[in-house]
Amino acid sequence: MVFDVKIYLGDTMAQISYSLGKLVLPLSKIDLDKRAGFLFIFPAVLYLIFLSVFPFLYSVYLSLYDVKLTRLDKKYFVGLENYLNLLNDPLFLKSILNTAILTVSSMAIEIVLGFVCAKIFLSLREQRVGQVLRSMSILPMMITPICVGLIFSYILNPTLGIANYLLSNVGVEPLSWFGDPSVALLSVILINAWQWTPFMMLLMLAGLVSIPDSLYEAAELEGAKWYHVARWVELPAIKDVILIGIILRVIDNLKLFDLVYVTTRGGPGDATELVTFFAYRQDFRFFQVGYGSAAAVLILLISIIITTIAVRYLRRMQND
Amino acid sequence: MKKLIEKSGMISALALGLAAADAGATDWNKELKKHDGVKLRIQTIQDPFIDSLKKISPDFEKLTNSSVEIEGFGYDPLHEKQILNCSQRDDQYDVLFIDGIWTGEFVEAGCIDPIEKRVGRTNPEVTEMDDYIESFTGQAYWNGTLQCLPVAGYWHMLHYRKDLFEKANIKVPETFAELKAAAKFFSESPDFPGVDGMAMNFQRGSAAGQQFFEWIYSAGGKPWESNYPGSNAPYKDQTPLFNSPKAVEMVQFFKDMVPYGPPGVEQFAWDERANAFTQGKVAMINNWSVRTPLFTDPKISKVWDKFDVAMFPHAEGEKSVPPVGGWVMCLNAHSKQKKAAWDFMKWFASPEIHKSFVLAGGPPSRHSAMQDRDIIAAQPWVPTLYESSKKAWAESRPRHAMTFEMIDALGLQVNRAIVGDATPQEAMDRANENITKMLTRAGYIDK
Repeated sequence: MVFDVKIYLGDTMAQISYSLGKLVLPLSKIDLDKRAGFLFIFPAVLYLIFLSVFPFLYSVYLSLYDVKLTRLDKKYFVGLENYLNLLNDPLFLKSILNTAILTVSSMAIEIVLGFVCAKIFLSLREQRVGQVLRSMSILPMMITPICVGLIFSYILNPTLGIANYLLSNVGVEPLSWFGDPSVALLSVILINAWQWTPFMMLLMLAGLVSIPDSLYEAAELEGAKWYHVARWVELPAIKDVILIGIILRVIDNLKLFDLVYVTTRGGPGDATELVTFFAYRQDFRFFQVGYGSAAAVLILLISIIITTIAVRYLRRMQND
Repeated sequence: MKKLIEKSGMISALALGLAAADAGATDWNKELKKHDGVKLRIQTIQDPFIDSLKKISPDFEKLTNSSVEIEGFGYDPLHEKQILNCSQRDDQYDVLFIDGIWTGEFVEAGCIDPIEKRVGRTNPEVTEMDDYIESFTGQAYWNGTLQCLPVAGYWHMLHYRKDLFEKANIKVPETFAELKAAAKFFSESPDFPGVDGMAMNFQRGSAAGQQFFEWIYSAGGKPWESNYPGSNAPYKDQTPLFNSPKAVEMVQFFKDMVPYGPPGVEQFAWDERANAFTQGKVAMINNWSVRTPLFTDPKISKVWDKFDVAMFPHAEGEKSVPPVGGWVMCLNAHSKQKKAAWDFMKWFASPEIHKSFVLAGGPPSRHSAMQDRDIIAAQPWVPTLYESSKKAWAESRPRHAMTFEMIDALGLQVNRAIVGDATPQEAMDRANENITKMLTRAGYIDK
């Protein structure tokens, strides 16, 4: 067997060949470009293989076993039993429901408030005060979620927090923001929306800015009211942007963890149990890595399905 | 208590000096080797005793020419970090403080090196194993072998506002019924504005789950078939009894106490409960003794001179079985400095250094410390604590590899009952069902 490599970089001519018995494969410039391209992406591929693909495949492998992290040497193959148990686990099902409520409610608030704020900043865009307020309004999303959780756990502390103190001044009974099951998830939703409304606002503002003035002038000539303009001019013009925002926020909400970890720990009862928190508890509190991995794989599948549907819808809209 | 506490500052300083002088009683130069340049790393809970540990460790450094680094973590992060480190055979920490209820899990995972043989080879006057308080020492054993040293024992006591009880002319509660009546009185009486009756650990998860185990024996119940105070084989029959009439009645009692707690008490855990007391918001709490010294600190406690302690309450016709817990000091199985680590452990746990540790604010865990006049002068609650320690039951909480999961599952259901998501009966039926499945799967009970 002969392996022969010849590279002539002058004139960009290159030849790489190897012979195996009678077989000789001369490689063209295109092949070399492909290989050069591969070399360029090789570090990224390696990174992905070691930090994404391998952990994912290992999670799938573990999900088929009954195994604790403390005794990885003692694992029992259980096939799909972990998945079946998950689908019959009331806590996991409640966590899916809570995640869905959190995602839909947060995004609804973020879209409505984001649109209103974007309209306000659009009308103030020529003024200095508008620019300053716009910069200030995006501060919440620059804070790490764990700090946001800590800040709000102080503000909403039922005994010592400022929220109940202010409410008591106007005669409102102290609220148990994170202790009452009918209020706890709402509190988390409001905090989440507070932090991420600026993100939707920025996206929509960028979309609104790109609408030609002629459309507004035409609408004005037709006697359109503000809600006509919003419904028939602005929303259609920025629907792509809104959908991109929705896709990003769905992904964000499906992996929301820090906020719940700091404020409610999934309680009271199972009122704020989210899928990520469920998987975390299985993996890192009980070290049931088989069951936890099954939960993580299911969460990933749900995320992939939702984002695939959303992306397809986005493409269809763009094609239309 | 005020006068005693005022005196305690001077006395503890004096006693600390005397204890240091007493340190000459043991020839540490003979007992300990020199460990030139060795850096020992100790991983522990960020509980109040960490400051006392840091205060006395320099003495060991001087004796052995080594250095000691102490790192504290919160409860859950500590457990996560220790187990993850162990699964990676990590040797960065030499000495591990673990909760007594984790002993079984850590032994079964091969995280700790049993110290029984090392104790056998050590001067008995240094180890003084018979001096440890039995109810906590039990948590340092697993499978009949001594695994760790029981150096930081905690027991529960009822902490109450002496000034309020005197003003109201109410007897300090001994039974659950008296406790509820007193809590109701302080919550509803217009004479005590801004004060609620009692704060308890109701937060979902470990807080509510552990509280179940803390109260069940004093309620006359038992968590599983063969676990009751004095049982010779508490793990023989682990058939869960979380929905027994006594257990359901006790959870109903928890629920009944909610209106007499501060707003948001359903989400209270250890810190919130202690803060409510130090801020003067509640008349009573049940609390681990490790925090009692903090309550006497005027810098952080508004009630530093207004409280006293009493025995843990019990149900009518039952006996008080105070909860016992705390931290055992273990040798990391993967440490590469085991000789130096053991030297530190035996030095730290010895009766005379233990006295210094307690006088510096640490929790007393030896009979000698509980009876020591200097310590009693510095910590006036110690006689009640000693009485509590004698009545406690070492196996009051599960200590096997499923402990964390079991307590969490129980804590979820207790919390559901407390917040009204389910009736106590429904919640405890669910808890019993889930824990039965869990223990069956893990092989602790037969299918």
